[in-house]
Amino acid sequence: MTAPGPEGDKALLASAQAGNMGAFEELVERHRDRVYGLALRMTRSEADAAEISQETFLSAFQHLQSFRGEAAFGSWVHRIAANHALMRLRHRRVVQMAEEELKAPDFSERGTLLETPAPEWSKPAEERALDAELGEAIRRATDALPDAYREVFLLKDAEGLSYEQIAEATGDSVPAIKSRLHRARLALREAIDRFYKEP
Amino acid sequence: MYTCQDSINLLLDFLDGEMPAEVSAELREHLAGCPPCVEFVESYRATPGICREALKAKMPPEVARRLTQFLRSRLPPQGVP
Ligand SMILES: [Zn+2]
Repeated sequence: MTAPGPEGDKALLASAQAGNMGAFEELVERHRDRVYGLALRMTRSEADAAEISQETFLSAFQHLQSFRGEAAFGSWVHRIAANHALMRLRHRRVVQMAEEELKAPDFSERGTLLETPAPEWSKPAEERALDAELGEAIRRATDALPDAYREVFLLKDAEGLSYEQIAEATGDSVPAIKSRLHRARLALREAIDRFYKEP
Repeated sequence: MYTCQDSINLLLDFLDGEMPAEVSAELREHLAGCPPCVEFVESYRATPGICREALKAKMPPEVARRLTQFLRSRLPPQGVP
């Protein structure tokens, strides 16, 4: 039995680097859900997500010897997945929702907030435990974000990449990334708020 | 004096802790007199965590099976030479 988490990953990685395929397969098993989830939300396609998962782990295996373990295996493999998903999005021309349709709070002419957030927000996290319908509303709202906004939100807020890592992966500037992240958060916040306010 | 709109525009940097002291002081001053904005900040701050939970996915068993098959067909049985 190998320990769970990054420590166990380290032992499995060393074993895989020494040629133990079983250890590599266990690493795959540990990380495949998150790789698949990221690819699915990025591309919004189950078929693409399945292929990206294959490409990601094949590429991870091919570069196994050059991976020095300065980062956790998990972050490394998720960055590979992010890059593969980004490449796929770049090669795919889809009808994009206009940027102006991103939902944001309403202000008066004088810049005053017109609506107060729903009372549910102030409940402690465990009390607003995720219900299935809210989860569905969030997935719809995430899928509806324009690609450039959805990418940044998923990489930063779901995967925990740094602004610099995202800039490197997307080729965009850090200020542009921050501005999109802010608008994506506002749009998702609105979606959750509307869900709470539904009668 | 900052408006709600000014304050909300600054939230990302505010929560990242990357903001000149005088800007954050002005923002705090607005928040001190504006309960709706305080609630807005809380909801904005909570959004990534709620979404992270909602966006977790599991690889379907059939996809996982095909992934294992794919890797076994492409990788040497004894691992890295
Ligand atoms: Zn305000």
